[in-house]
Amino acid sequence: MNQIINISTGQLLLALVFILIAQASSFIYHLGLNRDITIGTIRTFAQLFLMGYVLTFILKTSNPFLVISVFMVMVISAMFIIKGRVKEKQIPYIIPTFLTMLVSYLATAIFVSGLVVGITPWWEPRYFIPAGGMVIGNSMSALAISLERLFRDMRQQKELVEMKLSLGANYREASLDIFKNAITAGMIPSINAMMGVGLVFIPGMMSGQILAGTDPLIAIRYQIVVMLMLVGSTAVSSVVVMLFVRRRCFGSGEEVLLSPR
Amino acid sequence: MTPLLEIRNLSFAYEGSTVLVFDRLTMAVQEGEFILVKGPSGSGKSTLLRLICRLNQPQGGSILFQGNDTTSIAPAKLRSAISYVAQIPQMIDATVEENLLQPFSFAVNAAKPRPGSEELREMLRKFYLADVTLEHSAMKLSIGQKQRLAIMRALLQEPLLLLLDEPTSALDQESASMVFSIMERLNTEERKTLITVTHIDYKPETVKPLTYTLANRSIHLR
Repeated sequence: MNQIINISTGQLLLALVFILIAQASSFIYHLGLNRDITIGTIRTFAQLFLMGYVLTFILKTSNPFLVISVFMVMVISAMFIIKGRVKEKQIPYIIPTFLTMLVSYLATAIFVSGLVVGITPWWEPRYFIPAGGMVIGNSMSALAISLERLFRDMRQQKELVEMKLSLGANYREASLDIFKNAITAGMIPSINAMMGVGLVFIPGMMSGQILAGTDPLIAIRYQIVVMLMLVGSTAVSSVVVMLFVRRRCFGSGEEVLLSPR
Repeated sequence: MTPLLEIRNLSFAYEGSTVLVFDRLTMAVQEGEFILVKGPSGSGKSTLLRLICRLNQPQGGSILFQGNDTTSIAPAKLRSAISYVAQIPQMIDATVEENLLQPFSFAVNAAKPRPGSEELREMLRKFYLADVTLEHSAMKLSIGQKQRLAIMRALLQEPLLLLLDEPTSALDQESASMVFSIMERLNTEERKTLITVTHIDYKPETVKPLTYTLANRSIHLR
């Protein structure tokens, strides 16, 4: 049962059949996705192999500075991905978002590795890097959704926000609905994942552990920790980022700074 | 006597533009005055009102309210005392009553006396909205009804200065007459100070307004 079946290079390349199917679908129905599918496939191979070599090296050296550096690179990369998706030019949101991500993800990863799993030292790369990776990946998508929603609604509802400001609302009161909707939009995928886990899908981490020979009852415990960790970290980072970025949507006189596109 | 509002050397240009809309504009408004600001389209009439209540920020100069620089007053407190009604009235998707009581849901107005239903109905009658019930959906009102409701809502927080931005521009003749009548009554009966910007040729019947014209990036008393 503990025997891990290796995937040979030939078998790995065989999996490209799925990409050929996706490419064919895009070609037949003129979806215009062929270029993106190709780039995505190349990046999947390149990034994961690179990560594999980096992880092997880190696991061997077991250096805390190296572990934290990898973590930093992951957060910076996530920030660039968010920047590419949000495309907001008027409001400077990058620095508060990056700092919140760094602090909240680090705190979550330390909490999970050091306290919940109880690994010593807390930065043990075998646990810390995957935990950090899952937190960053999940929250990154939530933040991109929340930020996009915040900026879109602030623009679309500018007159409504100004009406409330004109009636004596402070900027928090005037944008309360927009703020709540933005956070909810980012949180819904994580909450839905909790609803469907084990019923609709078996999460990647748990599947990976079971495939690698771990007892499923141990794998589910890890998975539960991961699910809770993802919801918690997403909530904290979304709320904190929205608090900072929402303030930046208003000027010193609490006037709306976003102008319609 | 300290003016209720004083604008000193106000300069303003839109973001990303070097063309000044106002260049060292100066004016003073005394309590109880009925001010009409006229000017061609694009002369900055709406912008002037937005600058007064800080919905836009000037590049230079200062605006004093009761002798205090508006930048030294908390924005919510300032806008509770200087109420601005936009050209296109905005309503929340709720009943007429909920819309009217909205100012009281904000911290700055929490301590102010909250009008009861009977008081609101009486006000609706005075604002030519007798056929509108408090339970009515505000979103289903006509633009003219919304405009009157927006003015009424702004007044409920008892501002010292009311700024009306083209209040009749989207209205038919009948609705416009009602709004003009309300504006004049607010000034004559309730001694409210009003600044109204308009591009139409409106001549008040019961009040003697001070009419200013915006031209050449400044303001001139006619």
